[in-house]
Amino acid sequence: MSNHQILNNAQHADLRVHTHADSALGDAAMAALVVPDEFRKVQAEYPILFKRDAGSGSFSAMALLGFENGENLYLSNGKWDARYRPLSMAIQPFLVGRPADGEGEGQVHVDMDHPRISTSGEGTRVFDETGQPTPFLETIAEMLGSLHVGYERSAGFYAALERHELLEPFSLEVPLSDGSKHSLVGFHIVNEETLRALDADALADLHGEGHLMPLFMAIASLSHLSGLAARKDARHTGG
Amino acid sequence: MTGTIDRFVIVGGGTAGWLAACVMAARRPDLAITLVESPDIPTIGVGEGSWPTLRETLRTIGIAEDDFLRECDASFKQGSRFDGWVTGAPDDSYLHPFTPPPPDDMRALLAAWQDTGPHGSFAAAMTPQAAACARDLAPRQRAMPGYAGALNYGYHLDAGKLAAMLRRHATMHLGVTHLSDRVTGVVGRPDAIEAVELAGIGRLEGDFFLDCSGMKALLIGDHCRSAWVDRSDVSFNDRALAVQVPVVPGSAIASQTVATAHEGGWIWDIALPTRRGVGCVYSSRYMDDDRAEAILRAHIASHVPGADAGSLSPRKLSFATGHREHFWRGNCLAVGLSAGFIEPLEASAIVMIELSLKALADNFPTSSDAMPIHAERFNALFRYRWDRIVDFLKLHYVLSARAEPYWMAQRDPATIPQSLANQLVLWRDQPPSTWDFPQIDEIFSAASQQYVLYGMGFAIPRAGGSNTVGAQARARLAEVHERARGLVSALPTNRIYTDAMKTTATAATAQGENALP
Repeated sequence: MSNHQILNNAQHADLRVHTHADSALGDAAMAALVVPDEFRKVQAEYPILFKRDAGSGSFSAMALLGFENGENLYLSNGKWDARYRPLSMAIQPFLVGRPADGEGEGQVHVDMDHPRISTSGEGTRVFDETGQPTPFLETIAEMLGSLHVGYERSAGFYAALERHELLEPFSLEVPLSDGSKHSLVGFHIVNEETLRALDADALADLHGEGHLMPLFMAIASLSHLSGLAARKDARHTGG
Repeated sequence: MTGTIDRFVIVGGGTAGWLAACVMAARRPDLAITLVESPDIPTIGVGEGSWPTLRETLRTIGIAEDDFLRECDASFKQGSRFDGWVTGAPDDSYLHPFTPPPPDDMRALLAAWQDTGPHGSFAAAMTPQAAACARDLAPRQRAMPGYAGALNYGYHLDAGKLAAMLRRHATMHLGVTHLSDRVTGVVGRPDAIEAVELAGIGRLEGDFFLDCSGMKALLIGDHCRSAWVDRSDVSFNDRALAVQVPVVPGSAIASQTVATAHEGGWIWDIALPTRRGVGCVYSSRYMDDDRAEAILRAHIASHVPGADAGSLSPRKLSFATGHREHFWRGNCLAVGLSAGFIEPLEASAIVMIELSLKALADNFPTSSDAMPIHAERFNALFRYRWDRIVDFLKLHYVLSARAEPYWMAQRDPATIPQSLANQLVLWRDQPPSTWDFPQIDEIFSAASQQYVLYGMGFAIPRAGGSNTVGAQARARLAEVHERARGLVSALPTNRIYTDAMKTTATAATAQGENALP
């Protein structure tokens, strides 16, 4: 359910948003959408996997946060245990919207049914008492801009990956210390052999458009899979 | 006589006695602690404003912040505001917040503050706390860990409820023995108490005695004969008319104590979630009780929304200003009102209790041999602290320009301690600094002196230093401004905070989640 409104300082003069990490505030997600522009920061904390949308057939990238639906292993005791949160999570409950006619600059929209919308008087204000954006909204607007630009640019990245057939299906078994197993299916990763076999022209093509860097960032990020499995195991055995 | 010190006897309950019981039991679990409290003597709540130190004290004792806030009807205190102290004009107001100015050269910060064109108050330039106080905001969010804050803070609290909570905690969780009995006599030499005689139980022996008997000073005064040092020559006020005013549900809760000057003293206003404590402090030499009561009622009528000023019956307190010559004699230490009292202008009562207990627990003598050395050190340190309190409170009066006889008399050089007069000469040349206050745990830091001095319009010393220093100071003040913008958007009001906390507690109790420790 959602109830999107165009953010404005008249209607939302007293709007407050909960900013702390909490599963009840929409943080209990096993994966978060990420854009290639932020891969450098994402790979410092999370495994980056690719997913093909069943409907459109197009790819997108996800930061993996857990191994089952609703499981965010970075969330514990009201804290998000990482120095970077994917933009798509950090901007909630805001989003970039288009004017009704679909033309012109993106606007800041807010989902008034999102659990981060505060009704208690606690939380962070979006506009100050004079109607000016607060530093919180300034930061949000900046992140929305980055996310929007990153999203627009990602089409070229995925087209290049498809062009060079660089993605392959990926599945993972996560053995837990009590003998049980979890399996992760339905994701793709970069095929390193194909990547290694690319010729100079192909590499120049990727490099020229700035796709090489995020590609290697995605590969490097997979080293976090073992760390994520360890978090899972600790939580599993810890009850 | 060489002996180990195991039996620790506290005479008197109240804030001092029960804080002492909890702190000593938590920090010295090897001691056998007994507190004897008279059943028929009501305790005086020594002030309802605390310093930020109380957070660390409560944490040490093992009390969760939420429990404390709920049980003591407490709210956050982020400093004191002084209305009418300079001229008495309607816009005459300044703030002494708990958060210090940025850690930079004060001379350069002052110049940067003056440079910024038509500038706001000193406190508003130096700390985001001023912006939070102006909006009745809490210094923390509920999601933060207990006792952590975005801004430095202490509490406003119900002292009677605090003593009751500490008593429960001391007896149920910390193994303190509680005797309800009346002290009828003290046995032993003035410098070596052996026991106290109790009306019902008889003789209660001990190795160390803490006198928390309040202004009566049963042990340190009557028995140990430590002389009273009168400080009323500097600090004139000796009367207070105090009253509790219930507040309308949902009304704003101020973030600071408000001290409003009047023709012959000042009025305190301390906001708790359910009531406001208001009191008129005055000097019987300059004002009679009827005039003080009229001033108090007029203040309540104009400052407390919905209050029926006519129906209130204020309680009159008479007090002597001063302290013991020796706080520690032999095996007896005075803590709380038995050690001394001064008007509650900067809420020094509870913090002096805490500092005394910290000094005692950090240096607790294990044998009687070391006792005289500890006593001498303690007495020197706390005499220093009392002198600093007397000086600092006097500073608030000395810088006034009010013309009533009381205020003129406050500025008479004959009533100003030499140490304060010297500091004022120094501060015309240079801002207050740690050079002026070199002790550990100085009760009023250089930052406190700066807030009062420049809040009251004291002349700024001539700027020195290079351009780099100036640019850095301007950058610091710009940071304060940005941080203020961020904080005032993210912090809830005190009212929202305390009401939300109560709602959560009720819900948790209903679901059976509120498991007792």
